[in-house]
Amino acid sequence: MSQIKIPIGPQHPALHEPESFNLTLEGEIIVEAEAKLGYNHRGIEKACESRNFIQDIYLLERICGICSHSHSTCFVQAVEEIAAVEVPLRAKYIRAIIGELERIHSHLLWVGVAGHEVGFETLFMYAWRDREIVMDILAWISGNRVNYGMNTVGGVRRDISPEILEQILGSLNTLIERTEYYTRIVTDEPTFMGRLRGVGKLSKEQALSLGAVGPIARASGIARDVRQDDPYGAFSEIEFRISTDDHEDVLGRTVVRVHELMESYRLLRTLIENLPEGPIAVKVPRKIPVGETLSRLEAPRGEDILYLKTNGTEMPERVKVRAPTLANLASIREMLCGAYLADFPIIVAAIDPCFSCTDRMIRVGNGKNDNLMNWQQLREYSIEWHKKQGLDLGQIK
Amino acid sequence: MNVQWTLLYMFVFPGFLFLIAYSMICEWVDRKLFARFQNRIGPPWFQPEADFIKLLSKEEIIPDAADKVMFRLLPIFAIAAVLTAFLYLPIWNTNAIYSFKGDLIVVFYLLTIPTLTFFLAGWNSTSLFSALGSVRNLTQLFSYEVPLLLSLLGPALLAGTWSISGISAFFLKRPELLVVNIIGFLVALVAVQGKLERVPFDIPDAETEIVAGSFTEFGGRLLGLFRLATDLEMVVVATLLSAVFLGGSFGLHPVLGFIIFVVKTLFIVCILTLFKTVMARVRMEQMMKFCWKYLAPIALIQLLINILVKAYFL
Amino acid sequence: MNNQELVTFLQTQFSGKVTNVTSPREKRIFAEVATTELVKTLQTLKNSGVHFLGTITGVDSGEKFEVIYHLYNDDGIVLNMKTFTPRTDPKVPTVTTVFSGAFLYERELMDLLGIDVEGTPPNRRYPLPDDWPVGQFPLRKDWKSLSSEEEVNKA
Repeated sequence: MSQIKIPIGPQHPALHEPESFNLTLEGEIIVEAEAKLGYNHRGIEKACESRNFIQDIYLLERICGICSHSHSTCFVQAVEEIAAVEVPLRAKYIRAIIGELERIHSHLLWVGVAGHEVGFETLFMYAWRDREIVMDILAWISGNRVNYGMNTVGGVRRDISPEILEQILGSLNTLIERTEYYTRIVTDEPTFMGRLRGVGKLSKEQALSLGAVGPIARASGIARDVRQDDPYGAFSEIEFRISTDDHEDVLGRTVVRVHELMESYRLLRTLIENLPEGPIAVKVPRKIPVGETLSRLEAPRGEDILYLKTNGTEMPERVKVRAPTLANLASIREMLCGAYLADFPIIVAAIDPCFSCTDRMIRVGNGKNDNLMNWQQLREYSIEWHKKQGLDLGQIK
Repeated sequence: MNVQWTLLYMFVFPGFLFLIAYSMICEWVDRKLFARFQNRIGPPWFQPEADFIKLLSKEEIIPDAADKVMFRLLPIFAIAAVLTAFLYLPIWNTNAIYSFKGDLIVVFYLLTIPTLTFFLAGWNSTSLFSALGSVRNLTQLFSYEVPLLLSLLGPALLAGTWSISGISAFFLKRPELLVVNIIGFLVALVAVQGKLERVPFDIPDAETEIVAGSFTEFGGRLLGLFRLATDLEMVVVATLLSAVFLGGSFGLHPVLGFIIFVVKTLFIVCILTLFKTVMARVRMEQMMKFCWKYLAPIALIQLLINILVKAYFL
Repeated sequence: MNNQELVTFLQTQFSGKVTNVTSPREKRIFAEVATTELVKTLQTLKNSGVHFLGTITGVDSGEKFEVIYHLYNDDGIVLNMKTFTPRTDPKVPTVTTVFSGAFLYERELMDLLGIDVEGTPPNRRYPLPDDWPVGQFPLRKDWKSLSSEEEVNKA
């Protein structure tokens, strides 16, 4: 059969963010896959160098909507390490609580997306309904559903009241019950299992050499989790159980995520029960001494790395972010080649890709576009246009 | 039967107008039930009509490289084939508007035409996703068609007639024999999922893989007509199954018979929705394997049972 | 290997090729190596258990560019291996022969800092768009982005 090339993306129902894949097909089988990245490049690393440390927290938080807390925590950890600040224990615990809530909402979102990608709409609707419980808790704690704005250098900005802690503990029971139900679906439902098993194989050796991280690596039998390898914040004080699986395929990745959900519920309970009293933040000078460090954090999608170099001023010398998706994209070709076209959406979804995290550096504007307008011009254009339609909006100031 | 009545039967009730209205109601039942199963609220009763009217009012965009006449004609072909098939199906009694000895086979092949128009529509669209979708359409046709025909053969064999009205009339006399066909009914229910391109066999228009399959390039009025054709197909298939496997409307009083018809078709629609709710979409090769390895042999077993029943009990 | 063992390993096994080995805190080690020795050193490290490449960072430090390879071992110890290359002719060898997943990180070095990575597999550019002007490297300190106002006026 002759080969055909099909473009998937930048706009395609299977991808929730703009990223482009060129697949070469022989019939229904993918023989070659090529990813084109960079559509979401926003120049965040460069922008960080011209903003102070406090501003950078909020900028880095906007790298990604889902794992926003992970990126900002990773950054403040690095700043605190260079500034040699001891963060209050309560702040560490609150960071960990938000981090785990974030992991729960990210994994529940993923379970839904996985259902959607293989045409199992019911799972999609159920998982997203239950995710609302976590979103409500997060909104109650921080006022926001995403981009919580909890972190600051030296601690956290908001305390969690005892009533909210009660509420979280109450909701946990519902969530555990629902997650057990999803575990049953994942391991029992024949059509769903049939779509996941043996799909997107990535052997342990490949995962190691291509540098896979997070649930992808753990589903290939690599017991790597920053919370265990290099404990940060509250994780150096509480016990943590790593979830791995040896299916090496999408089913394994699903199982790992579902198990991580259960582990997160357990961690949340421990964190809340042992939440120490005390201040939530210490004051840190605006100027951070010269230094460099590498901060690691286990985001829901895998390991987040942040390299920070400071020069003694209020602004960093260099900030480098390596989001988990970029590490996992290196192995996407291995997973796609030889698969069916029908498996493309679930294989890509299985790395839980966050392309916004991956491309994060430049503002695109090459000056070739003749229709660029500034605000004033846009306003005048709009007034002109409405005049032509017989409406004079120029009076409105 | 005089001409006026025939025309009324054909075009108004139980013909085209009624069928179109009823298919919209069935679509609503399907969508509402699907939503309630998923713990959503679901659309109001007039949503299918509103969708249809909205699509009719939209601009028609035809790809440059496509054959324009064919592009416009294909949806009409699809609708015409389904509407013609409906004429041979009994509604409130055991007699269809038209009926002759071999109409089961005719209906079966008329119901194949929409799939072929989907294929042609996709192929004619000259877009990659459409082409992939249409190839899948045909591949799928080859996997469900045989089990479906085999399962329909069972009751026909038992009744000793190829006429749908004849089969209904036969079961009216021997209702206890309906039970014999239960396996065939289940096979047919699964196979029509493939025919109607619904989950778990919605492979030709798998949104996350190939956008909208054959219909990717379609929009506005033409898409509206295609969607209408799919809705009509669902009602016609449900009516066919209810006439062949559930004994039609038992030849009761027309009003009661009509209520039975509605109940039975809605029952089949509900079962189809239930399938859609509890399953994920399978892959093409999984479907082929399933249809040929399991569905077709089971249908053959049903045939064997029917032959034995016919030999010993009739 | 724990922290101290790895530090000793670095100091003794490379006959002085790996310099400035420091460990500012537990599980973090910084070290430097010449560009010419880079691939060989990484290969030796990979064989002795430091077998995971986290990412590659490029830093513009004026006269020269620093390229930092963040490596881990199974005990979660991070080894930040630095190498320097002159600004006038920035060049580093590819490490994809050792860590095959490194090609995306090397693309970043090429696109954003203009460091020539010798021998990296051919690929399309990442992360900048295809029509990005030649010779513009946004992460260099002398590169300034225009404000949106300036961008409009230029157009």
